[in-house]
Amino acid sequence: MSATALPQPRGIAWPGRSSYVSLAMLLPGLAFLFAFLVLPSLVLLANGFMTQHQTGEVAPPFTLANFDRLLFSPAYQRTLLLTLKVAFVTSFVTVVLAYPLAMAIAYAKPWFSRLVMVLVVAPLVVSVLVRSYGWQLLLGNSRTGVLNWLLEAVGFGVTPVKIMFTEWAVVVASVHVFLPLMVLPLATSLTRINPAVIEAARMLGAAPWRAFLRVTLPLSIPGLTAGISVVFSLTAASYITPAMLGGTRGAMLGNLLEQQVTTAYDWAMGGAIAFVMVAIALGANIGATWLIEYRQRARLRASGAR
Amino acid sequence: MAKPVDLALSGLSKHYGRNVAVEGVTLRIAAGELVALLGPSGCGKTTTLRMVAGLVEPSAGEILIGGMQVTKVPVHKRNIGMLFQNYALFPHLSIAQNVAFGLQMRGVGKAETAKRVADALALVQLGSFADRLPAALSGGQQQRVALARALVIEPSLLLLDEPLGALDKNLRESMQVELRQIQRRLGITAVLVTHDQEEAMTLADRIVIMRDGKLEQVGTPEEIYSQPATRFVAGFIGAANFLKGTVASRGAEGLAIALPGGGRLLLPTETQEAPLVAVRPEAIAIGPADGPLPGNGTPATVEQVVYRGQMTHLYMRLDDGEPLLAYLANRDGAAPDGAGMRVGERVMAHWPASANKVVRDN
Ligand SMILES: Nc1ncnc2c1ncn2[C@@H]1O[C@H](COP(=O)(O)OP(=O)(O)OP(=O)(O)O)[C@@H](O)[C@H]1O
Ligand SMILES: [Mg+2]
Repeated sequence: MSATALPQPRGIAWPGRSSYVSLAMLLPGLAFLFAFLVLPSLVLLANGFMTQHQTGEVAPPFTLANFDRLLFSPAYQRTLLLTLKVAFVTSFVTVVLAYPLAMAIAYAKPWFSRLVMVLVVAPLVVSVLVRSYGWQLLLGNSRTGVLNWLLEAVGFGVTPVKIMFTEWAVVVASVHVFLPLMVLPLATSLTRINPAVIEAARMLGAAPWRAFLRVTLPLSIPGLTAGISVVFSLTAASYITPAMLGGTRGAMLGNLLEQQVTTAYDWAMGGAIAFVMVAIALGANIGATWLIEYRQRARLRASGAR
Repeated sequence: MAKPVDLALSGLSKHYGRNVAVEGVTLRIAAGELVALLGPSGCGKTTTLRMVAGLVEPSAGEILIGGMQVTKVPVHKRNIGMLFQNYALFPHLSIAQNVAFGLQMRGVGKAETAKRVADALALVQLGSFADRLPAALSGGQQQRVALARALVIEPSLLLLDEPLGALDKNLRESMQVELRQIQRRLGITAVLVTHDQEEAMTLADRIVIMRDGKLEQVGTPEEIYSQPATRFVAGFIGAANFLKGTVASRGAEGLAIALPGGGRLLLPTETQEAPLVAVRPEAIAIGPADGPLPGNGTPATVEQVVYRGQMTHLYMRLDDGEPLLAYLANRDGAAPDGAGMRVGERVMAHWPASANKVVRDN
């Protein structure tokens, strides 16, 4: 069904004789990426399956011990699960916040729609570092934290909010950072819906919220899955935000990776962590795509069996 | 089927800022009647229909359905069926699920829903398409699904906004017949928006001509065509020649009008000034130029002859420079009335006094 299908990737044709020139022009870029991205990534990933020797070398024998430790030893496992939890909660909260914003962008009067758009996109132009400092100031656990100072002033007791240096500070800051990446694909999806279809639902007796659940929501699933897979994988991969706001309680896989490589000098463990982080990102994307196709298959099956 | 109800609009207006889309529309539509809103683009047909539907909030005026005030009732509580120009089927639901939607919103039970959906699809002869998705149907089939979906909820009114506008001519004509039959059979009150005058003539019990947001004339297709009230209506529905002259004499049988191009008219009216007169092209017959001046007629010069099968269209020019158009019937086998007419030829155009329609100039 055209309304719910993701754009199909076009097949990349093998270049004919005439496109050798364009291939030659691509070559420097490809070589750069291969030398400085693909190769080191492969080395790092391969490290995960090898042993860290006392000499500092990472070499055979090949082993699954690193993965065993990462997945099953309590301290490492906790970090892995926390990473998934932060990514999940962040995705969920951004979805809830993004829908009204995306609907305003898609359906409101032009001036209001443009205003919301600017407000949503604005955080993207500020560096992650600066934003994280900002959240440190806002969320500080003592009276010097703006939020606590404010709440105390209005009479909520002494420092009522203590989320700084926990995963919840990371969630708050991640939602702030990644909200635009959820809103934009959603708004695109919503503008593609024929407004008459929603009017038809209303005329058939659907109150506004039922029209939303039965028509708008299902028809915006392509944007929703695109947004979720991006937000989930970027949150799971984040490093600066948990480093500045998470403290030890809110440390995530990225921070564990850094610690393994720079403090423990365990490049094998670092490789294993990197491998798992890549797997999470890929899993989020494949999972989201699969979900759409599953829905479509289920729908076809349901209609075929009726 | 629910008992048919009447629809009353009173002083209905819609302003967009300084822009007036609809102004003071007052209209009563009887139970079971099909009324067509007809008019040029931008005259406010869609806006009027959408106010009845509840999709546009009126700036002023009232809407009564079956005597009940619904002006402030939200869309989903009005129980009105609507067909959209682009069908507006739910693309993610099968045909059967599309038709079932309105029943589910009303909390109708599963078994009864299945039965009523099947009945509705049978009504539009699409029973075997129940499991397909809308994208797998042709435009005509999609609009029939939309009709089934609108009718299955037993609406008190059926609103149609150019429902056949996207279909090709042959399909449109057969759908018009089907639509008319179903509407008659169910006895449902319906309002059709169209800018196709033939569609309005074919389908409607009464036609409402709109212009610049206001009602121009309301009447049966025959009344609108044979007694147009204004110059606008006469020119919008069918074609018309407009003639205006000066009073030459007043007699027992009426007013004799001299046309500036040398022709004359006889009117049974009592007006002081010479009114504007419309004459339909098909009322005009052609005689030899050297004959006597008829009671209603004028000398003219042939400018163009267009053979159109049933008719020959004869474009003429009067001596004062005004155009005159005649449709001459071509009876198969007989020599056509327009036979042998040559460009530049002088002729005498004439018509019966009953073809003179006095219209308001506006
Ligand atoms: N949302 C709106 N905002 C401002 N002006 C509007 C709006 N909707 C309609 N109008 C104006 O109101 C007038 C009537 O529009 P409407 O759509 O009712 O015309 P219509 O008779 O249906 O024309 P058409 O045959 O082209 O569909 C037009 O001049 C249009 O520009
Ligand atoms: Mg319209």
